[in-house]
This record gives sequence, structure tokens and C-alpha cells, in this order.
Amino acid sequence: MTNKIKLAASALFLCFAGTAQEVEFTEYTLDNGLDVILHQDNSAPVVTTSVMYHVGAKNEDPERTGFAHFFEHLLFEGTENIGKGEWFKIVSSNGGSNNANTTDDRTYYYEIFPSNQLELGLWMESERMMHPIIDQKGVDTQNEVVKEEKRLRVDNAPYGNILAEVKKRLYTKHPYRWATIGSMEHLDAATLEEFRAFNDKYYVPNNATLVVAGDIDIAETKKMISDYFGPIEKGEPVEQINIQEAPITEEIRGTYHDPNIQIPAIVMAYRTPSMKERDAYVLDMISAVLSDGKSSRLYKKLVDDQKQALQIGAFNIAQEDYGQYVVFGLPMGETSLDTLVSEVDEEIKKLQTELISQREYDKLQNQFENRFVNSNSSVAGIASSLATYQMLYGDTDLINEEIEIYRSITREDIKRVANKYLNPNQRLVLEYLPKKDSEEVN
Amino acid sequence: MKNKFLAIAILFLTATAMQAQIDRSTQPEAGPAPEINLDKPDSFTLKNGLKVMVVENHKLPRVSMVLTMDNPPHAEGEKTGIAQLMGSMLGEGTKDIPKDKYNEEIDYLGARVNMHASGATANTLSKYFPRVMELMAKGALNPNFTQEEFQKKKERILEGIKASEKDVAQNARRISQALSYGKDHPYGEFMTTESVENLTLEDVKNYYQSYYVPQNAYLVVIGDVKTKEVKKLAKKHFSDWKQKQLPANNLPKVNNVAQTQVNFVDFPNAVQSEVQVTNTIQLKKSDPDYFAVLLANKILGGGGEARLFLNLREDKGYTYGAYSSTGDDKYAARFVASASVRNAVTDSAVVAFLDELHRIRNEKVSAEELANAKAKYTGDFVLALERPSTIAQYALNIETDNLPEDFYQTYLKKINAVTAEEIQAAAKKYYLADNARIVVVGKGSEVAEKLETLTYNGKQIPVKYFDKNADPIEKPNYNKKVAADMTAEKVFNKYIAAIGGEEAVKDVESVYMTAQAEMQGQKLDLSSKVTASGKSLTEIGMGGNVIQKQVFNGTEGFVVARGQKVPFTEEQIAAAKADSHPFPELKAENATLDGIETVNEQEAYVVKMDEATTNYYNTETGLKVQSVKTVKQGPQTMTVPTTYSNYQEVEGVKFPFEISQKMGPMSIDFEVSEIQVNNNVSEADFQ
Repeated sequence: MTNKIKLAASALFLCFAGTAQEVEFTEYTLDNGLDVILHQDNSAPVVTTSVMYHVGAKNEDPERTGFAHFFEHLLFEGTENIGKGEWFKIVSSNGGSNNANTTDDRTYYYEIFPSNQLELGLWMESERMMHPIIDQKGVDTQNEVVKEEKRLRVDNAPYGNILAEVKKRLYTKHPYRWATIGSMEHLDAATLEEFRAFNDKYYVPNNATLVVAGDIDIAETKKMISDYFGPIEKGEPVEQINIQEAPITEEIRGTYHDPNIQIPAIVMAYRTPSMKERDAYVLDMISAVLSDGKSSRLYKKLVDDQKQALQIGAFNIAQEDYGQYVVFGLPMGETSLDTLVSEVDEEIKKLQTELISQREYDKLQNQFENRFVNSNSSVAGIASSLATYQMLYGDTDLINEEIEIYRSITREDIKRVANKYLNPNQRLVLEYLPKKDSEEVN
Repeated sequence: MKNKFLAIAILFLTATAMQAQIDRSTQPEAGPAPEINLDKPDSFTLKNGLKVMVVENHKLPRVSMVLTMDNPPHAEGEKTGIAQLMGSMLGEGTKDIPKDKYNEEIDYLGARVNMHASGATANTLSKYFPRVMELMAKGALNPNFTQEEFQKKKERILEGIKASEKDVAQNARRISQALSYGKDHPYGEFMTTESVENLTLEDVKNYYQSYYVPQNAYLVVIGDVKTKEVKKLAKKHFSDWKQKQLPANNLPKVNNVAQTQVNFVDFPNAVQSEVQVTNTIQLKKSDPDYFAVLLANKILGGGGEARLFLNLREDKGYTYGAYSSTGDDKYAARFVASASVRNAVTDSAVVAFLDELHRIRNEKVSAEELANAKAKYTGDFVLALERPSTIAQYALNIETDNLPEDFYQTYLKKINAVTAEEIQAAAKKYYLADNARIVVVGKGSEVAEKLETLTYNGKQIPVKYFDKNADPIEKPNYNKKVAADMTAEKVFNKYIAAIGGEEAVKDVESVYMTAQAEMQGQKLDLSSKVTASGKSLTEIGMGGNVIQKQVFNGTEGFVVARGQKVPFTEEQIAAAKADSHPFPELKAENATLDGIETVNEQEAYVVKMDEATTNYYNTETGLKVQSVKTVKQGPQTMTVPTTYSNYQEVEGVKFPFEISQKMGPMSIDFEVSEIQVNNNVSEADFQ
């Protein structure tokens, strides 16, 4: 499927070559299996060094959830040559910035430096890959930090559990069923040996992609990469999971009580195909038709005209193995959750029975083109896109060609895909309700 | 010959040996400061003088445009505000495209077009570039100045002036500029309600005719375009733009004061003092010490790691933040060090500012500070270069500031070459610690007296007084004498009499009030119930849902927000006890009369109810006009003023129907929709 898209896209790409963007890149693999992508852009003396590891929450032991995210923290603790607590100081005193993030599919670390600090960035990332210090002290420190993060971002955040509650119900076997942040009990129970084993298994060059993007000289950079990353030992081959879910054929109903909210929410969620499939791109467009901007269909109807919703949104959350298409609404005043469901259904029905208008379609194309172009406006953004396309989509060329997939989507595709995935018997309806005082006191 | 070979061989050996074993144990050294490969613009000039600069960059299929008129600054005099008003009317359709159609087309194309009095900007996908350039040109050169739009925009500006009348920080900036440059200088003049009221549609048209001219104008186009195409389109859309002689113009001379002095302006509503230590400077980008000044400013007050921040915030806790800026300009510029500080520490903050100015003038900065400032500067400079708007600005600066072609190419090299000595010299030259204006805008009754006695290095700092229009005045008397026989009790009695008399007030057992306000486009509902037996309930709702609820039953209470119920702390209980009464004056025990101050331009008795609350009662009408509470939030102490107005009678007692609360920069204006006396309140409300 992926290859087919690529072929079609390449053919199209030729026709549009005159107007398309040209993000040039060099791609190769070191002997130890580390994939390397270099993107040279000398227009600004900025360089991003980043490493994406193909490990996320979905690679975790069901009894040890939260490991991948925990490692995002743990691997800032220091290395054999970078003392505990030194990481952030080194970055800021050299004019740089840095961060990391974790999803169900992968973990991503990056630094942005003035380009004369390229070697520093490579040294730091190679240190992290080669010999991070994983000791009890670091584990204990980060255990507290992660718990604090969970309190802040999930437990105390209004509507903070929506995605976790949706995934729990949409998946029965696939590890997408647990939250990326994982279980604190699992983390408390984990031993130092387990953490070290997880590191040895996943944070190895043959499970990683290094991207260096920005104001670089390709030959010099290759040399530095081989100096710093070449000596890192290859790990055991990493096998990605392959777990299939049976299709949903009957509407799933659920309720959840969130102590942080006063206004209930209605969530309608559909399980959708992998982000590599063309239909996932069509679903992106559908979500834009429904809720991107003030003239989008759901926003205009429910928020503007009928004043039934405080907020309404449709999101296509695409992931490597499956995706979730989530419609989320907050009722206004006396409007019931059921009313919102039927109002949304009416709009989806419309998409399933009528083609969107030509002007709406053209505007959609303009929106996606803008979004695409601007997503590549910073070197740091390009670095992250390159790593994602290479690792998760298996096709780095998408950096330039993905827009062609959107361009190839027709009004008929939108109708077809709405019919294929967005039917009531394929979904979850989750009533996300405030937790009453009385329930909370005890 | 042989030796030479050997030498080369050894060199080769050591080189390879070093390559094979990089030293991982120490942090790699930075490479030489990067040169900046700024795309150089192709440029051409139209016959009317418009200079077009094109930077082709085909990396992304998008284009941005900046149109700028580099006319010399000119004073607007009694028509101040005309430029802003004219600029706001541009881009609202053209003579041949109606406003709605114009805006819809730009949205549909996914483009952005903004216009102002001295130029315009636009961003678009490259495939729509020709049309967006056309729309921008039409908007700029063929504007449709209608009476209707004029009225709308004028009202919006007047509204803005009114909204900011009490905004102490904004007024401080305006007054400080006026004092520094002088009110007749374009950089010092400011618009007033009167100056804007007097503007006419004809003024707008005349101003546009006089100043919207091409001879000093630049159009910078950056992105996925071909110079040839830009040339063709620029000629097509901008050739009809006619040159016109600009009106004659003389810039007044700008001076500094002979001796460092405080310039004080009273804002009785101020809960913080705005302090700006400032002097005017002559600094151009092309000056040899420009780079030393940039670093001096970075070290002195360029962010959260700079000296002012570390001293005034981290060390002394006077403020949320203290910063400095050193401007550069072809005509005149300023150095400003500023902070918003608590009233009580205003004088100490002035001393801390002067300390830091003297320190950077008298001592060399440390090697570590210098290295960190350079690294930070490099990082900031470099990251900004990614934005096309930065590239456009730099290309423009080279033209308008007469800079060498390689000014920005070699920028970082020049930053990195600056020495500690050069920074000290720059500080001495530009940070005039002995000729500075210390503009303090704050509450006279609380801070003026202490400023009068302020000395620095054993020398008295003179204080000069100005009004809100930056005109000098005699020292006002901020602390009006209260008649000797006046007491807090008498103030209370007068208030009770004013709202209906003791008899009427005594019959009030409960008050149920509902009110509405608008905040950032959202409707807020406030309802409160309070009883003479000391109980209270306050609910704040949004969109029909309660978002916050506070209940006090006379002995204990709690807050519910975000579904979480938090019991009152002891401080909150004490505050609720003092507050929970329709007329807290009736049960106040330790109130003291503190003086007379001005509230909303009227005199008011100041009565301190307790540690946390001070009330203000109009000296003439007796009505309560304001209540100021001090609230602790974590380590910060906040002052929250609530004003009361539009008293109306309900069941024989007068209640305020407009209640306005200020929290930091935000003001929430509630309009009371209903007050019920002795109705709809039951015990169940307070459980």
C-alpha cells in the first residue's frame, strides 16, 4: 500500500515540480545500524541535532506501562562524561535549547544550537546513546518528576483523561489501550535491572534515526557522526509488535467521571487505519471540513448558529498501527449530550450522502497546502518531520511529497471514507461527566 | 626535502591518530562563530522611486511581502492620532472591491494581509502570489475612505484611549516618552480624546495624500518567486503610485537633564509604581560601539539571567521582572531600564536601579557574564534568522540605515569580538546614571513622600512633579488633612445615612444579587447571597455552568473549582467573617480613618477595615466607592481593587449597580441585573 502511494505521488510530483517545495536530504546507515538523515540549509546558522528512537508506549510490557515516557526523563540524568544535572546547563550556556517527547510509537530528543555548536550537539546525543548513567538515584529522582507531571497534566487537568479513556475502550488487545504516561504502580514496582534491560533493548543505534539539519557541511558532518556514533555498539535486532484488532461492529457506550470539570463532554470516537494508509489522509481532510476554522461545518452550526455547543472539534489522531478519529463537544447551557450526538451525526450523514461543494473543496486544499508549507518553516520542524517520515512511514520522501496525497484526494474520496469508517456501529460514544462533590468526598 | 617529507608524515600520523580517537571525556569546543549566509536581494527601482528588493528562496512554496515607507518622522501636532486612524482604515476594501469580498478572498486563499500608516505586509502560498500582491497593492493604493468606516475606526480609537485612561503601565510609557523627547517631538507626542475627536474624514484623506508616497518606499519580497515575475507585477501594480513632495518638517532637538532627577506622576488608582530610568541617546547601527551596546544591554537587563532581573526580582523580590532596552535610531533613541514595583518599595527600587547603572559603568563585566551573554546573543540572533520577516528586516535595515553590505554576514563575529572594556565604555557613554530621568508613575499618597527624601551617594535626588499630560506642576498635596473631629465611625454613619438610613438598613436580613460581565468575549455570571447573620455564598458561572463557588456558613467555608472542593484556610475564614454581611460597616470593630485620597477624580475617606481590606467613601455623598483587598497568592501579594458606582434604590436601600474588579492588568465590569432583599435566601444555600 505504501509503495503504491509513493509511486502515484512521485508521478504527480513531477507534474507539480515547479511549485513544490524542495527539502533536500541525504540518507544513509552506519555499520551499527543507525539511520542518519542530513538536511543542509545554510540560510540561517542554526543546527538541530535530534534522535528518534523507535520505542513508545506500545513497546511496553503490559505490566510495566509508562516505561517509554519514563525513559524520556531518565536519559537526561547524565552519561559517563556528562555529570548529573549538567545537561541543561551545557545547552543553555552555549546558546541552545532542547527538549524531548514521547508518543505511543516513538521517543524523540532534540537540541537546537547555533551551527558552530554542531559537534556539541552530536557529542551529547552520542553520549546519551552510548553510555547513559542509569542508577537508582536517577530512577528515584525521575519517579517523583514523572508523578508530578502526571498530576499536573493528567490528574488535575480538566478533560485530561479523555484520550486514555477512549483508547481503553477502542482497543482490546493492542497496546494502544493504555496511556502513554502509564501506570505509577508499574513504575514503582519496576527494578533497576528492568530499566537497564529496557535501555539495552530499545535505545540502540539499530533502533534509532539521527537527524542533523541546518547550517552544516555534509562531508564534515558525516565525519563527526562517524567519530561520535560509529563506536556505539549495535544492539539485538528490535522487533516491532504486530497485533491486530477485530473490527468494531456494534456501538460501544461508556461513561467516565472527571473530578476536574463542571461541564460534561461528549466524545465520539472511531477506530481508523494506520497513518500510512491513504484513507487516514482523507480523514484529516474530513476533520478540517467539520471543525477547522470558524466557517467549518460543525463550528458554524453548533457554536455560531445554534449556540448548542461551547466547543466542538473533530480530530484525526493518526498513529503507526491504527488511528482514532475523535469528535469532542462541550454542550452549551441546557443542551443535552444526546442532542450533540444527533447534531454531529446529521453532519456526518451529510458527508456520507452529499459531495462537499467545489468552493469548500478548494478552500480545503488551500488550508492543507498552507499547513504543509508552514510545518516545514523551521529547521527544527523539518528535522522532526524527516525522522517521522523515515521511521514511522518508511518513506522519507514524504517530506516533499505528502502534499500530493492530499492533492489527490477527491470530493468522492471524502464521501467514500466517511461511509467506510464513520458509522454509528463502528464507534464509541463516551459520556465524559463531572464527578459530583458527594462522590468525591468519600 | 627529506625532512619536509618526514614533517608531513608526522603531521599526517598525528592527524589520523587524533581522528581515530576523539576525546569523549570533555565537552567539544565550539567552532568559529558562524557566518551568516543571508540571501542577497536582487533590487530594482521603479520610476516613482519605490525600491523593490527580491530575495529568491525556493525552499518552501510561499512568499512574504513587506512594504515600508521610510519617511522622516514628523510631528502630527494637534491632529495627533491621524496616522493611526488612517492606517486602520486601509485594507478595508478598495474603491473597486467591497470590504466583505476583499476579506473573504484573502481568507479563501489562505493568505494574510495587514496594513498600517507607513506600509503593509502580506503572506501567501506562492501560487497565489500574483493575486495577493494585487490585493495588497489595491488595498494600499486605492483605498476606499468612507464616512461609515471612518466613524467606526475613530470610535474604536477613542474607546481604546478611554480603556487605557487608568492603565498605569501604558500611561507610564506614554508620559516617559513625552518627558524624554518633548511633547513637540514625533517620538514624544501622544494622542488625546480631544485630538482624535477633532479629526475628520477630510484629514484622513489629506494625510494619506501627503504621506503615502513612493519616493522613500521599499517593497521587500521574499520566497518562492522569480525576480523577473516580481518586476513585472511590481511595475503593473505600483507604477501608478505618484511621487509627491513631503510637507516640510523640522525635528526639535532632544536633550537630557542636567542632573539625575525623579519625575513623578500621580495615579491614585495605582497599586504598583511604574519606574523607568531613562535617558535619550544617539546610537545608530553603523556606530562602532553598536555591538558593545547590545551586549551591555544584554548583561544589564536583557532577560531573566541579566543583572536587573537577578537583583530586583530574584534577590530583593520587588517585582515580577526588571529589564532594560537600548534603542537605536537614525534620529533619536532612548535607553530605558524599567520595572513595575510594589508601592512600598518604590524608593528602594530606584536605588537598586541606580546601583546597577553605576556598577556596569564603573566595573568591567566578568568573563563568565561576557561569555554567556555572547552565547545567548548568538543563539537568539541565529534562531530569529529562520523567520523570513527577519531577513526582510535586515535587507531593509541595510538600505535605510546605510549599513555595509556585509553588516549581518559578519554580525556574530563582531559580537564575539567585543571586550569587557568596550562594554564598560559603552555603558559610560549611553547609560547616563548622572543625567537620567527616573520617571515614577504611581500612587502619590503612598510613594511621593519617600521619594522626596531619597538620596544616592549622599546626594539628594530632586523630585519634579508632572500631570498626566506630562506638563510640569507644583508639588501637589497628596495627603489631604482630615478634619480633626472626623472618625471612622462618623464615616460609616454618613455612609449608612446615604444609602437609606439606619432604620431601612436594619431591616435587611439578606441580599441576593445577580450580575453579569463580559470577559474576553465570554459571558460571566455572578450571583451572591449574603446574610446579616454572617453567611455568604458566591457563584461565578460561564455559559450556564458554575465554574467557581464559595460558601461560608458563619464558622467555616470552602471553595469549589474544577470539581475540587477545598476548605477555607484560617486566613480565608477570618476574611469571610469580616466580609459576610450586607453592610460590613455595621459590625466593623477596629476600623481606623487613614486620611483622604482621590478615587476616580473624587475625594474619598480612606478607612482601614482590617489588615486585608481598605474601604473608600466619597467625602461628599458618603457612598462607598471602592474597596481594596490584599490577597496572598503563594509568595506574591496581590492588591485587588473593586469599585462601586451607579447606586440605585431597592426596598428603601441604595445598592451599587456597577461593580468593577481589577486583577492585574485585567478589569472585569459587572452590571447588576437584580437585587432581592430578604427573598430567595435560605439556610440550605450555605451548606
